[in-house]
Amino acid sequence: MSRSSLWLSLFVLALPFTGVAFLIYETIGFDWSELNDAAWRASLAVTLYVTVVSTVLSLVIGTWLARSVYRHRSTWLASLLRWPMFIPHVAAAYLFYLLFSGVFPFYGLIEANERHHLVVIFTYVWKEVPFVFLMVIGTYAQLNRGYLDMAKTLQLTPFKQFKVAEWPFLVKPLLDSFWVLVAFISFAYEVPALLGVTFPELLGVLAYERLTTGLFLNAYESYAVALIWTLFIFIGVISSYAVTAKRRRRIERGVRR
Amino acid sequence: MSRILTAGLILFPFIGLFLAFPAAFSWDEAFGNTVIYVIILGFINVWLGIGTAWWLMFTESRWKTSVEWFTFLPLFIPVMASMFGMYIALAQLGLVGTHIGVGLVLLVTTLPYSIRLAYNAMYVIGRTLLEQTLMLAPWTRFGLVLFPLLKETIRTIVLFSTVIVLSQFVLVQLIGAGLVPTVTTRLYQSYAGNDVSLALQNTWVLILVPVLLYLGLGGLFGIWIRLVKGRLQ
Repeated sequence: MSRSSLWLSLFVLALPFTGVAFLIYETIGFDWSELNDAAWRASLAVTLYVTVVSTVLSLVIGTWLARSVYRHRSTWLASLLRWPMFIPHVAAAYLFYLLFSGVFPFYGLIEANERHHLVVIFTYVWKEVPFVFLMVIGTYAQLNRGYLDMAKTLQLTPFKQFKVAEWPFLVKPLLDSFWVLVAFISFAYEVPALLGVTFPELLGVLAYERLTTGLFLNAYESYAVALIWTLFIFIGVISSYAVTAKRRRRIERGVRR
Repeated sequence: MSRILTAGLILFPFIGLFLAFPAAFSWDEAFGNTVIYVIILGFINVWLGIGTAWWLMFTESRWKTSVEWFTFLPLFIPVMASMFGMYIALAQLGLVGTHIGVGLVLLVTTLPYSIRLAYNAMYVIGRTLLEQTLMLAPWTRFGLVLFPLLKETIRTIVLFSTVIVLSQFVLVQLIGAGLVPTVTTRLYQSYAGNDVSLALQNTWVLILVPVLLYLGLGGLFGIWIRLVKGRLQ
């Protein structure tokens, strides 16, 4: 039973890699200087900004919440944090759009569809914090309290306590979540299309629009951007995992070096 | 105090649901498609997720680490980027604009999460406990031991796959070539048409489908667990 589902899974999961291979094939002979226009450059800058801010905020808030749920054992907050996970991104984006586009007293203060993309960031943070929380809370549940007690006995500052007794165990889930979120947020259409502006557009929105408008004449630009962006994230993933490999192995298999 | 504030911030966006009156709901093709995709993909995700995780748990194969990476890496490929590639690939096979093409690509985006969730759950239960079941026939093993142990994970897998499926606009629009309407694609059209009550109706549907599915599965699973527990007496 498990062998047949393994083969089916491998077949299905080979598709994204096949997709990337096709992107490479399609972009052979592409004139890369075409990407050097104002729209793509502005898009890259605003994408990096939105991705970094939303990802870092989600990681920090998610970890902080997991930590406080773990310390105060507040199960009600843990179950409340599941609520946003029931909401698809599209629906969340539309709710934020309704709240920040005129019907509510925030209007004028913070608005949807403005060039700082604040509401896009809010939406992502609201949606991703529970995800980070879920990734991190498992680590806290298994955390050996002995380390923390030891750090307290040694009268370390709260920051140092966190650094020696909790941080080493958080590296793996946080690294996993970081790249999942970056891959997800940096090249998506649904949320920024509803809440963003027409200039500068996020990479995903611009790529989809260039792909689908004008009889696929600009399709190769989108393929090229999708390809570079995938490779860029892949290099990031591989190098960050390589850098932390030794430390993660030490945590997983005990203190032996 | 800060926890109360956090709770307020979590609940705040739900106000949006009550800002206008949603349009009356009626069953149509878009809704039918959505429900069918959700049910089929939930089922396949549970099946393949648990099966693959089971293999990863027990294998002695030297390919284990590679398979683990292979099932994990797709999470790091931006969905839309690999989808552009899959669009080219599926177009060659004539699957663009068909339900099979859309379903396949939706499966690609959900399966890595399901395998990971199932594997983590089995890892927590522990190999020793699971090993005890190996003598049972596959269906008995699943029904009487694995399912009761994994029922919360199964619900979570279904919830995850449902929410991801319901979030996909570009995927359904591009791979479906505009021929496969779902509630999500319709939300964008009603949004572009500035029809708040219609858009809000679609939003309600997008939220209620996962919630009702989650609660319904909880009830169904509860009945099965009671039946299984009855065997103990």
